[in-house]
Amino acid sequence: MTTSVRGDSHIGRRQLLKIGLTGTALLASAGGIATLSGCAADRPAESFVQLRDSDLPLLRRLIPVVLDGSLPTTDQQQAIDTILQSIDSALNHMPPHMLKQFMQLFDLLASSITRGPTTGVWRSWDKADDQTVQAFLQRWENSSFDLFQQGYNALTKPILIAWYTAPQSWGSCGYPGPPAI
Amino acid sequence: MSIKDPFAEGLARGWKAHNASLLTEDLTLEADIAIVGSGAGGATSAEILSAAGYKVLLIEEGGLFTSTDFKMQESDAYPTLYQESAGRASKDGAVLILQGRAVGGTTLVNWTSSFRTPEHTLQHWASEHAVIGHSREQMAPWFARMEQRLGIARWGLPPNDNNDVLRKGCEQLGLHWAVIPRNVRGCWNLGYCGLGCPTNAKQSMLVTCIPSLLEQGGELLYLARAQRLLLEGDRVSGIECLAMDERCVAPTGHRIRVRARHYILAGGGINTPAILMRSDAPDPHKRAGKRTYLHPTTSAWGQFEQTINPFYGAPQSIYSDHFLWPDDSATGRMGYKLEVPPLQPGFTASMLGDFGQPHAALMKQLPNSNMMIALLRDGFHPDSAEGTVQLRDDGSPVLDYQLTDYTWEAVRRSHLTMLELQFAAGARAAAPLHNDAELVTSMQAARRMIDGLDQRRYKTRLGSAHVMGGCAMGEDPSQAVTDSLGRHHQLENLSIHDGSLFPTSVGANPQLSIYALTAKLSSLLAERLAG
Ligand SMILES: Cc1cc2nc3c(=O)[nH]c(=O)nc-3n(C[C@H](O)[C@H](O)[C@H](O)COP(=O)(O)OP(=O)(O)OC[C@H]3O[C@@H](n4cnc5c(N)ncnc54)[C@H](O)[C@@H]3O)c2cc1C
Ligand code: SF4
Repeated sequence: MTTSVRGDSHIGRRQLLKIGLTGTALLASAGGIATLSGCAADRPAESFVQLRDSDLPLLRRLIPVVLDGSLPTTDQQQAIDTILQSIDSALNHMPPHMLKQFMQLFDLLASSITRGPTTGVWRSWDKADDQTVQAFLQRWENSSFDLFQQGYNALTKPILIAWYTAPQSWGSCGYPGPPAI
Repeated sequence: MSIKDPFAEGLARGWKAHNASLLTEDLTLEADIAIVGSGAGGATSAEILSAAGYKVLLIEEGGLFTSTDFKMQESDAYPTLYQESAGRASKDGAVLILQGRAVGGTTLVNWTSSFRTPEHTLQHWASEHAVIGHSREQMAPWFARMEQRLGIARWGLPPNDNNDVLRKGCEQLGLHWAVIPRNVRGCWNLGYCGLGCPTNAKQSMLVTCIPSLLEQGGELLYLARAQRLLLEGDRVSGIECLAMDERCVAPTGHRIRVRARHYILAGGGINTPAILMRSDAPDPHKRAGKRTYLHPTTSAWGQFEQTINPFYGAPQSIYSDHFLWPDDSATGRMGYKLEVPPLQPGFTASMLGDFGQPHAALMKQLPNSNMMIALLRDGFHPDSAEGTVQLRDDGSPVLDYQLTDYTWEAVRRSHLTMLELQFAAGARAAAPLHNDAELVTSMQAARRMIDGLDQRRYKTRLGSAHVMGGCAMGEDPSQAVTDSLGRHHQLENLSIHDGSLFPTSVGANPQLSIYALTAKLSSLLAERLAG
């Protein structure tokens, strides 16, 4: 609890995040901390246009937690890959200010310096279990700091949209797809 | 598929349309009248002015997509047809703001509800905002003209089951409800109006006023962002546009200089004031971007025994105005209009809060669910929030919009109303869209829960598809950006013809208000320019 409070106030003052249908994040100087720590490679990862290697472990852990109950249990990796491609394409169509905000949010979460205090995830993302990731999302959702409440939306919405706009998800929500015309 | 694509055919016949993303050098274009924005206000103006004999150039930031491109897929539509990839939000991120960005503007993705401006609203503008000449009687012929132009008529088929929940609830409780007039011709009742109509049934600007402009020899320039107006004294001498890449994300580096006799801004709420602000247009009373209003929209989710399939069928066909003017006046408690939205799964998933199992459980109920929305009528009462447009460092606009206690009171009331209607219509379980809300199974439990909800930003899930104001019209230059005819108070050859003219929110879905007003302003402008 102490660490989380410290983390909260630390970033809360620096704040500023924005969310829309796809969720947007602007971390004015919080992103700066992460960038200083040198974690952000600006090159996209292989087979992606925008997502970088450093963004992938985080997203690979978030996706199955956010979509728990809807993702298929068989071929789950394939579904996650589809979602990553779709998020990448969404990022690639965002206006520059919004893309930058997302990248800053990802940097904040990927950096070993800022990750622990802001998320409570002290070990690297690929070692975080489901409960830890859930607890992190719930803490952000219910935080009294704007930054975290906005960050919660900015992280969950793009994943929800990427999945539920993909035909693979439609069986899980009883949507037969668009009619043939 | 044998559906015709009249726009593609027109282009093949030689309509003049410049795709700025393909430019390999800078370009200069000349016209009698240059219009920025090809949505409701811009395209209506373009058709009328070109019919009056003027050479009109219509400038659009977004891309050109026509019926063959519309595959009823959310994944295609949001990144291409919406402002900021459908991720626009208020500055603090608390209110999602949906607006269109493509040739045809927001009319390309809107849900076809077509209402005349309420009389209370017109009277309020006249009495409180020095708007003259737009009384109900004076506007009536313009509404009639645009209703005819766009095939606006009460929806003739039965409502889909999503809309029918609203009808049934109102019937049960003895409240007002009515059938919505829609701007469609030969509608297939598919339900995908928000993703671009694949059959050209929706009478958006893409299939009506823009083709008629081009048929009359007018020109279209798209993937071109009007960056700023060039000013000489109290006149506009040109517009500087940036060519955008084909994603409409980054400027390509080429510029288009536009010269005309008269200029019209019709970029819609938020965007039009931003052009004035980027241009350092004279604004002695600092009015540009002020008084921007949304219809902050609250939502409620109801689960039913029977199948509803809320993703199919004409998206909006029933409304209720029972709660719109609670004290029978514009300035009493805040009122709201009740409607339903279409529920394609991506949109639905992003509206519902929560994640993981609880979210998946709600989504599983999608075929049996209804969503109801309340559009809150902001901007009439002195205690309403005043939305203000600001520019980011990169010149892009953002709306600062803070709800006041006056609005929050209506948010809570609207949650109660919607759940009451859903239960009256037979819902098994329902919940307002609020991060702390849970599904409840009775009105008694609903009351208890809603009374206890912490109504505040981020917790309450809010959105708005209607942006109004920011370049208010009115005769008092210390309050308004333009006069009642849309003429800029300081710049002689500049007019504004879009939803940013409204001094408050409309209190009804705004498209017909915009069509009728801009048709009138354009007809008068055509006469003035001739004289
Ligand atoms: C999902 C959705 C559903 C809706 N449903 C309804 C409905 O059922 N009924 C109803 O009445 N209303 C509805 N609306 C709202 C309605 O369509 C809009 O209020 C209306 O179209 C606004 O008209 P406008 O002329 O002000 O601007 P718009 O129609 O938004 O057009 C403005 C255009 O200008 C372009 N532009 C902006 N800035 C620049 C620039 N600098 N350079 C070049 N181009 C620029 C934009 O890209 C855009 O294409 C809906 C809106 C949405 C998003
Ligand atoms: S409901 Fe009618 S207007 Fe809307 S997309 Fe379908 S055919 Fe087009």
